[in-house]
Amino acid sequence: MLIFLRSSLLKSFSTKIISSFIIFIFFTGINLQAQDDGKKLFQICSACHSIGKGKLIGPDLKGVTERLDRDWLASFINNSQAVVQSGDEYAVKVFQEYNSIPMPPNNYSDEQMNILLDYIENFDKAPKPVETVAVAEAPEVEGEYVFMEETAYPFANLRISFIISAIIIALSLIDLFITKIVKTRFIHILIILISGAIITEVIVTEAISSGRATYYEPDQPIQFSHKIHAGDNLIDCNYCHFTVDESKYAGIPPVQLCMNCHNLIKEGPYTGKEEIAKIYASLETGMPIQWVKVYYLPDHVYFSHAQHVAVGKLECEECHGDLTSVDRVQQIGDLSMGWCIECHRIKAVQFIDNDFYSRYTKLHEELRSGDINQVTVSNIGGDDCQKCHY
Amino acid sequence: MKKYWQSIEEYKDILKSESHPEPDPKREPLPEFSVEGLSEEEKSGNHSRRDFLKMLGFTVGYAALANSCEMPVRKAIPYLHQPEEIVPGIANYYASTFFDGHDYNSILVKTREGRPIKIEGNELSSITRGGTQARVQASVLSLYDIARLQSPLKDNSTSSWEVIDREVPAQLEKLAAEGKKIVLLSTTVISPSTRSVINEFIEKYPTTAWVVYDTASASAMLTANEANFGVKAIPSYRFDNADLIVGFNADFQGNWLSPVEFTKQYVKGRDLLHGQETMSKHIQYESYLSLTGSNADYRVSIKPSEEGIILLNLHNEIAKSSGAATYKVAASPVEIKSLAKELLKNKGKSLVVSGTNDPGIQTTVNAINYLLGNYGQTIDLNTPSFLRQGTDNEMEKLVDEMHKGQVGALLFYNVNPLYDYPDADKFLAGMKKTELTVSFSDRLDETASKVGYVCPDNHYLESWNDAEPKKNYFSMVQPAIQKIFDTRQVQGTLLTWTGSDPDFLEYMQRYWETNIFPMQESTVSFIKFWNKSVHDGVFEIPAGPVEQPEFKTVGLKAASNGSSGKLELVLYEKIAIGTGKHANNPWLQELPDTITTATWDNYVCVPPKYAEEHELQDEDVVSINGSVELPVLIQPGQASGTIAIAVGYGRTSAGKVGDGIGKNVFHLMDKKNGLRKFGGTFVRLEKTEKTYPLARTQVHHTMEHRAIVRETTLTEFLKNPKSGNEMHANVAKQNLTLYSIPEFDGYHWGMAVNLNACIGCANCVISCQAENNVAVIGKEEVKNRRIMHWMRIDRYYSEDADNPEVTRIPVMCQHCDNAPCENVCPVAATPHSNEGLNQMAYNRCIGTRYCMNNCPYKVRRFNWYEYTDNPEFPYNFDNEQEKLVLNPDVTVRSRGVVEKCSLCVQRIQEKKLEAKREGRPLREGEIKMACQQSCPGNAIIFGDMNDPDSEISKVLENPRTYQLLEQIHTLPSVNYITKIRNKDPNEKHRNYEGYMGYYSDYYKDGDEVHE
Repeated sequence: MLIFLRSSLLKSFSTKIISSFIIFIFFTGINLQAQDDGKKLFQICSACHSIGKGKLIGPDLKGVTERLDRDWLASFINNSQAVVQSGDEYAVKVFQEYNSIPMPPNNYSDEQMNILLDYIENFDKAPKPVETVAVAEAPEVEGEYVFMEETAYPFANLRISFIISAIIIALSLIDLFITKIVKTRFIHILIILISGAIITEVIVTEAISSGRATYYEPDQPIQFSHKIHAGDNLIDCNYCHFTVDESKYAGIPPVQLCMNCHNLIKEGPYTGKEEIAKIYASLETGMPIQWVKVYYLPDHVYFSHAQHVAVGKLECEECHGDLTSVDRVQQIGDLSMGWCIECHRIKAVQFIDNDFYSRYTKLHEELRSGDINQVTVSNIGGDDCQKCHY
Repeated sequence: MKKYWQSIEEYKDILKSESHPEPDPKREPLPEFSVEGLSEEEKSGNHSRRDFLKMLGFTVGYAALANSCEMPVRKAIPYLHQPEEIVPGIANYYASTFFDGHDYNSILVKTREGRPIKIEGNELSSITRGGTQARVQASVLSLYDIARLQSPLKDNSTSSWEVIDREVPAQLEKLAAEGKKIVLLSTTVISPSTRSVINEFIEKYPTTAWVVYDTASASAMLTANEANFGVKAIPSYRFDNADLIVGFNADFQGNWLSPVEFTKQYVKGRDLLHGQETMSKHIQYESYLSLTGSNADYRVSIKPSEEGIILLNLHNEIAKSSGAATYKVAASPVEIKSLAKELLKNKGKSLVVSGTNDPGIQTTVNAINYLLGNYGQTIDLNTPSFLRQGTDNEMEKLVDEMHKGQVGALLFYNVNPLYDYPDADKFLAGMKKTELTVSFSDRLDETASKVGYVCPDNHYLESWNDAEPKKNYFSMVQPAIQKIFDTRQVQGTLLTWTGSDPDFLEYMQRYWETNIFPMQESTVSFIKFWNKSVHDGVFEIPAGPVEQPEFKTVGLKAASNGSSGKLELVLYEKIAIGTGKHANNPWLQELPDTITTATWDNYVCVPPKYAEEHELQDEDVVSINGSVELPVLIQPGQASGTIAIAVGYGRTSAGKVGDGIGKNVFHLMDKKNGLRKFGGTFVRLEKTEKTYPLARTQVHHTMEHRAIVRETTLTEFLKNPKSGNEMHANVAKQNLTLYSIPEFDGYHWGMAVNLNACIGCANCVISCQAENNVAVIGKEEVKNRRIMHWMRIDRYYSEDADNPEVTRIPVMCQHCDNAPCENVCPVAATPHSNEGLNQMAYNRCIGTRYCMNNCPYKVRRFNWYEYTDNPEFPYNFDNEQEKLVLNPDVTVRSRGVVEKCSLCVQRIQEKKLEAKREGRPLREGEIKMACQQSCPGNAIIFGDMNDPDSEISKVLENPRTYQLLEQIHTLPSVNYITKIRNKDPNEKHRNYEGYMGYYSDYYKDGDEVHE
């Protein structure tokens, strides 16, 4: 039976990258607060509208605040049909131009409306979405399916070292017993020992990484692009992965959900009609799309998205990388236990905001007295086996 | 000092040790596991160097192979149309009802991604009040049973509904036109809509007769109540209103009528934890040691033939004092004057019940209860129970008619007479003279395999239905899953055959709208009323106090005791298998019997004295009347002159798990005067030369005579609440430690088991098994002491072996804060959590079993084999269909790792997440353990020990609370609350100071603890 050693033996470089990445996110996150509110409000709009990426179900909203009066926009956004029915010329024109699909009514307060319109107005001036360090800049080639950059297999060097060491051992042995060129036996033994150590190291490293699949990037049945959906069209992650806040599974959207947009969008910018047609085929045949799972955790690990996203307030990209800039999904991080624990040890819990933690009286006291400045997941049992294994 | 023992061997040890105070040092230790079938080399435990090299080579090879293999491609397949109510990863609960013709239970069905995985009790039902029983818990596994029929059959070959719907109605019509009798033979039907469907069927085919056949019949009660009150019904009982309960062969906590309901009431009347200072007294007269008898304060062993005489004597005693008529009867074999006196003292607050299917006995019981003024107090005939409706002579009449060739068609609904009718051969002969035979059985059972057409019924979890267990107490059955196979609900089939719309849901809604909706006024819209009823699972109209029907005296007579010296046989139902309907359920087969602790078999229970006289030993095979051979099990408490055998075994056509387990003994039933009686047949017993091994768990995981159970009597308790638990304070004083006591910030989970409320029904064991994916391992492995259940119910006898006192204690992982298992794990696979849980990380465990050896409670289980996908263990883990019952939140353990109770950590985590998402602290009582949720005795308490207002914190303050083996300072998080018997402490041989076992001398007041 294989015993998987804790990865503390081997600090894989990807964990380091992730941790620095997390710190990066943590700092940039603060500046984005105001922008965030607008972004959240725009999530609902993003199902049908883009800003500067062309028409979707509804018109492109780039520069809409310059084209139209803010009050008019506010009344239209909150109840578009009332404006259309009142006979407003522009409203009727837009309504007819976009296949007479009514825009669902909203209920924004004046303040929210301002935030939303500010967001649309200032969209281009907003700081660029954070990009992961682990992924190299995606090439901006129009009309081509973008992959996560093929990263060299990190253990390739190790394999070479393994073979070289094996050859060295073989040579030393040959020399030791047959050719006898080097007279001092001590040198042979030294060489064999060193090479043996290297080989052992390689074996241990390989054994630890066995069953792990960093950089796993399988072909999917549909050439679905996260870049087009989440990046270019700014569709919020939660729009498709809508159970992420309540369930352990983020949820892979049912085909029916795709149809909310693809009812009308029948042609993609890169792949034309071919890929989108697979959605219709799936609906017609009643056969769901068989996506290939990228992020896989074995059965003995209980991972809950709700815990991390809804309670821990993590952003998707902290574990999955920035999917707004790549088409095909690649596994970021090795999903090893060390990778999880690393984060549990540095990540602060929403300790004061969430009343659930009010029962941890001692930790609250320590926070108040200044003995500790934050409560990490580990402080409240994040390192316990049965937080994840049961 | 009271001595507790688990087996007859131990009892003999105790008797011996009384003459030699020291425990026998030469007593051989019980073997750790069986060495049968091992080679000499393996037995000695020596492995040669070559073995080591072989294993090393294999390991390296395996590792290399595993490394070089590519990772499998895993698919993530979403819904096409995601149903609105389904969120993958989150459970849905649907209220429903279990009724299989025997047990009624209002339940909640937990489903994950559309498949039912667990049954929970429905707390909205005022009948079962959130409790369930083992068979109900296990019913979810039967849904996925691979023995279920997947399509209708004609002449035992696959057919289709079209063919059946064409042929059967045509034949029925022909028979009806010819005036030939059509018989619908069913078990009790409590569904009002189904009754209406059947009546429509009868209207369409007017020659139809509907015969109700109950395996465990209460026919005599029905006829007795008809004679006495003019109502052919079974009354409702209120055990909670009774201060004195006297049972005669009525296992009302295990199998009789409505055990969950009665247990809830019984426990309420005996609850001393919440301020109440009185508890009911329970006296049981019975022939075999039943679950109910084992919980009684006083238990008297009687022969079945003596029951009538005793009852009539009792009646006469009571009648004398109230001037009512007395009847001539032989002298009572047991003293009943004091019982009569006590009953008279508790007029209107007592309850006498008998489970014997004998009208003479039942009328006597009625007369006694009437004289005691119990009607309207503890017995309610105005709210009759509909759970048993069969009259036995109707069935006898039917068999005669079949024999004469007068029956044209036979429809079997939920009955299996070729298995459980005493004269199955006669029945079969009659069946052969019947033109058309149709069974609605869900499997090819003994009867269904002999009929022309099998029209498989849906499982109840796939069906719409309703139920009326008591008058005006309705409950709903709603499907929790789309039907899995090409089956059809009986109601739909009957509707099709009557030519009506086969949609039973619509039919039911119509029925409710016209018949049940008008019974209430609070809801105006039917749809709202319907939705609420479906949501709640119950709709109840409690009747106010109404005058009871008038009592008509009938002459009483007790059959003379003609047994003199003859051996009497008692048939009984086991807590798990019951009448054998669910024999193909591996969970139930492996559940240790609550009294005998045997699994996977039935056997002959013989009294210890009889065994001694006839030189019988456990596992000796005896032949009964020369027809059945069964092993002997020496059973303390078995009445002398009687033997007992459990029914429900010896199925031949139940499915691969249930077939050939034990022997069928239904043919040994007493069938005098057309009444099927479980007790009273005279039998001959002959010893054979054979032996047959039994898989009993009673001496597994023994705690070696340490002070496990603590008990006291009511009088002592009222004087001193600490009584029986004096040791607790002493130990607390003596427990000194150099180490700091572990402290927990935030939450600290704790549990308590109220031994006074635990009746030992083992519902918790099955509930735990379902919740935690506990493997079934089969008889051979149980024999090897490898049973996997995470909780066991230890049963201790005390006092006299002929009529022992029984004490039970459910034992699960005690989650010690100072856990001995944690220190010895070489790979830190079982550390302590910051919430006080003793954790077990399966993927870290390397199987040294040091922890098992170091656990003083013996609650850890080792996976000796791979139980999943292993054809050696052909139970529910070896096929894809039955694996659907697995709880996806709990890891299925593989070979070579240790497992144990996790305190349902998945439930804790689930509710914690819910609270965190809502930004609030956990509420008291929000988290319920699987064993706790459906406990019919409410015996298990769970909560946060850091919260001073929680129930568990209050229990910890209670002077009755103690921890198992507290003297060894393991600081368990699981607590126990002393058992209290309502017994006279001054009786001979009865000493109720806290028991300390062989080590008792160490624990006298102020003494030092040597351990």
